[in-house]
Amino acid sequence: MRIAVCLSCLPDPETVEVDPLTGAIDAGRTLYVLNPADAAALELALRLRSDDGTVRAVTIGPDEAETVLRDALAVGADAVLRVWEDQRTATRPAATSLLLAAALSTEGLPDLILCGARSLAGGSGKVPALLAERLGWPVVTDVLSFELSDGRARFVRRLARGARSEGEVTLPAVLAVEAGSAPLRYAGLPGLMAAKRAEIPVRHLPDLGLAPMDLAFPSATAEAAMPPYPRPREIFIPDSASAPHERVAQILSAGVAQKAGRIIDGSPEELADAILAFLGEHGLLEEPA
Amino acid sequence: MSANANGRSERFDVIIVGAGPAGSAAALLCARAGLKVLLIERGEYPGAKNVSGAVFYGSAIVDALIPNWWEQAPVERHVCRRDLVLMSPTTAVSLDFRSAAPGYVAPPYNAFTILRPKFDRWFAAQAEAAGAFLLTSTVVDDLLWEGSRVVGVKVRRDEGEVRGDVVIACDGVNSWLARKAGLQRELETHELALGVKEVIGLDEAVIRQRFHLNGEEGMALEYLGAVTEEVHGGAFLYTNKTSLSLGVIAQLSSLVEHKKRPYDLLETFKAHPAVAPLVRGGTLREYSAHLIPEAGWKMIPDLYTDGMMVAGDAAGFCLSTGIYIEGINYAMQSGLAAAEVAIDACRRRDFSRSVLRLYLDALRRRNVLTDFQAYRHAPSFVNGERLQNLYPELAALASEALFRVDGNRKQKLLPLYWRSLRKVGGKPSHVLRDLYQVTRAYLW
Amino acid sequence: MVITTHDEKIRTARFKVDDRPHIVVDGEKCRSCAVQSCVTVCPANLFVPLDDGSVLFNYEQCFECGACYFVCAEEGAIHWTYPRGGYGVTFRES
Repeated sequence: MRIAVCLSCLPDPETVEVDPLTGAIDAGRTLYVLNPADAAALELALRLRSDDGTVRAVTIGPDEAETVLRDALAVGADAVLRVWEDQRTATRPAATSLLLAAALSTEGLPDLILCGARSLAGGSGKVPALLAERLGWPVVTDVLSFELSDGRARFVRRLARGARSEGEVTLPAVLAVEAGSAPLRYAGLPGLMAAKRAEIPVRHLPDLGLAPMDLAFPSATAEAAMPPYPRPREIFIPDSASAPHERVAQILSAGVAQKAGRIIDGSPEELADAILAFLGEHGLLEEPA
Repeated sequence: MSANANGRSERFDVIIVGAGPAGSAAALLCARAGLKVLLIERGEYPGAKNVSGAVFYGSAIVDALIPNWWEQAPVERHVCRRDLVLMSPTTAVSLDFRSAAPGYVAPPYNAFTILRPKFDRWFAAQAEAAGAFLLTSTVVDDLLWEGSRVVGVKVRRDEGEVRGDVVIACDGVNSWLARKAGLQRELETHELALGVKEVIGLDEAVIRQRFHLNGEEGMALEYLGAVTEEVHGGAFLYTNKTSLSLGVIAQLSSLVEHKKRPYDLLETFKAHPAVAPLVRGGTLREYSAHLIPEAGWKMIPDLYTDGMMVAGDAAGFCLSTGIYIEGINYAMQSGLAAAEVAIDACRRRDFSRSVLRLYLDALRRRNVLTDFQAYRHAPSFVNGERLQNLYPELAALASEALFRVDGNRKQKLLPLYWRSLRKVGGKPSHVLRDLYQVTRAYLW
Repeated sequence: MVITTHDEKIRTARFKVDDRPHIVVDGEKCRSCAVQSCVTVCPANLFVPLDDGSVLFNYEQCFECGACYFVCAEEGAIHWTYPRGGYGVTFRES
C-alpha cells in the first residue's frame, strides 16, 4: 500500500496579528506551522503503513514550506516532494489541486491519498474534492477514522450536530481527515537528525509538464464587503386553537421543533434526480435554457 | 539510512547545549576549526526562549568573528545615549550621557539594542553556516557518563543518547546540566533577579523625536529607586527601531519578602511621571519574563569537569553592578573561551580536567573572570538597602530643594544635602561606610 | 501611559501546549506552607491559592523562567523541568 499525504505550511493563527488601523498583517510576528488536519492525516498514514508500504508527503509551497516535509521525514515518512513555481506568491484550491494531481501522477500514483479536511488558513476544504476530481477518484470528506482491508477503506465521517456516518470506499481514493483525529507522534532523535540533513526534492512547473498559464484559473474577486442584514425573525405564536396548558408548554419550549427532513430511498440515479428536483424547487438551480 | 545519518552511531567532537549567545559563539568557533559540532536548542528556533533587555555590548567580539556584522544582523539601534536615573515616587534625577565620539554614532559601534529572538536566530545561523549541526525543538535532560567523565547528553526523544568528546553547557541561568554534573550548587533567591519586560510598539518618528535621536541612533535608560517600590532591583527602557523595550528587574528574595507581584511593579514603573510620557501612545507587542543570575563572582560554579565546561548564564556570567548591566557579551566571551579549549583538547585528544582547566586561563584572557573578580563587591552593594531606596530618595529630595525657588534664603549645598539626608532618615556614618563600599567596589 | 491587564500581557506570547505538564505541584505540601512564595513571584500568575490552603497550578501559559522552582527550594513542593523540545512558550520579540 502506497499512501500519499498532502501537507500545507500555514501561518499559526495565534500569531497572525493585524494592525487595527491599517489592516496590515505584521509579518515579523507570524510563525508557521503544519496544518493540524494535515498532521492528523500524516499520523493516520503512518499508523496504517504496512511492512512493504510507503508514505510519501507532498507540499505545494515556497522554500520555507520545506519545514513541514522535514517534520514528516522526522516522524517516519519514506519520501517527500515539494512543488513550487518561484514567481508564485499564493495558491488557490484550483491551482493547488492541479499541482498536487500533476506531482502525484508524475511520481507514480499512490493507492490512497490523505489530505487534511481543511486548512486553518482559508478553510474552504475544497482541495481534497478538486484533487479527486482531477484524478477521477472518489473522495470522502470529514473523515474521523478509517480502516483498510482488501483494497477498500471503511471510514467514519463527521456529520453536522455530532452525527456520524459510516461507509466504505473502493481504493484508490482521496480521504480528507479531520483535525484532531490523531495527534502526530513526537519524532525520535535519529529521525530528527536524518530529516535535518535530508535533501528535499523540488519540482517546478516544467518538471510536471505544466506552464504558468495552466494555473491561471478565473477567480472570484471581491468588489464590496457588506455587513450582514439581520433577517426578519419569525416570532413564535402558540396555536390559539390548543388548550391553555398546551399553549404554555409551547411557549416554554420556545418553539423549538425538530427541523423537518426528507429521507429518500432509491438507486443513485433516482436519488440524484430527486436532489436536482429539490434544488430546482427551491430556486437554487438555473433553469436550463 | 546510512550509518552516518543515524543518530545512535553518530558521535560529535563537541556537543553544545543551548543556542543562545554563549552556545552559538562556541559552535561558530568550533565549526570554523573544522570540528564536528552539535548545537542543541530546546526552542522552536534559537532565541524563542530567550529574553534580555536588551543592550548588546559585545559588538567588538562579533566584529572579530564577522567583520561589520551589524550590516547583516538584525540589530535595532546603536546606543549613543545612556541615562542613569535615580527616582523617588514623584521625582527623577538623571545622569545623561550622549556622545558623538568614535563608536557611539559611527562604526565600529560600541553597543546596539537588539531583540533576542531575532538576534539569536541570526547568530545561530552563522554557526550553522560555518558547519555546526543545529538541532532545534530538542531539550537535553541529562548527561551521559563514563565513570567520572561526561561523554555526551541525553535528549528527551526516543533513542535520545548522543555522544561527544566535549560537552559545553550553555543552558541558561537555570542550568540543569551544571547541577547534574555537580558543578553548580542550588542557587539562592538573593542571587537571582526576576526580569519582567514589555516590548511596546511605537512609531519610528515618535521614537526619534521623543528621545532626541537621529536616524538609527538609540538610547538606553536605567533606573534605580522608587521604580521597584521597596523591592530591590531596578528598571530599564531601551529604544528599538519601532518599539521600546522596558522592564523591571527585581531580586527574587526581595519580591518574596515584600510580597510584590512582578507585573504590578512593571505597571508602577510605566505610570511613573518620568516614564509615562516616554511610553505614551504605544501598544503592547510582547510581555516576557526571565531570571537573571545577579550575584556575579560569588555564584560562579566550578567551570569544568572531565569532558564538560559551563558557559554563559549557566556559569553566572552576568555582570550587574549598577553601572554595567551586561550578560550577552560575557556569554559570548565565555562561549568562545570554552571553544578555544575544546579545539585544543580535540587536537590533543585529551578531554580530562587537566586540559579543560585551561578554560580558566582562556576566561581571564577574554576578560571574563578578571571583570567579575574586579567587580566582585558591586552586586551586594547595588542590592543594598540604602543604595536601593535611601540614596535615590535623597537625590530626588535634595534636587527638589535645590531647584525650588520660593523666595526663601538659598542654602549652600552641604547644609542642603545634610538636611535632605536627615529627612530621608539617613545617617552620616552610613554615608561614610557606603563611600568606603563604593571605593572598594568601583574605584580601584 | 500604556497600562495593560495581565490577560492582555499573556495573550502576546505564543504557547504551544504540551499534553504533559512540565511542572507538577505537590498540593499537600502547599497546605502546610505559610508563605506560598510561588503565588507572589510567578510572572504569569499561574499559581492560585485555594480556600483549603493548597495551591492550584496551571502549566499551560508558563514562561519557563524557574522563579517558582527557586523560591520553593526549601519546601520542595514543585517538581520542575522544561517542556518537551518545541513546546511551551515562544517569544518573537523579547
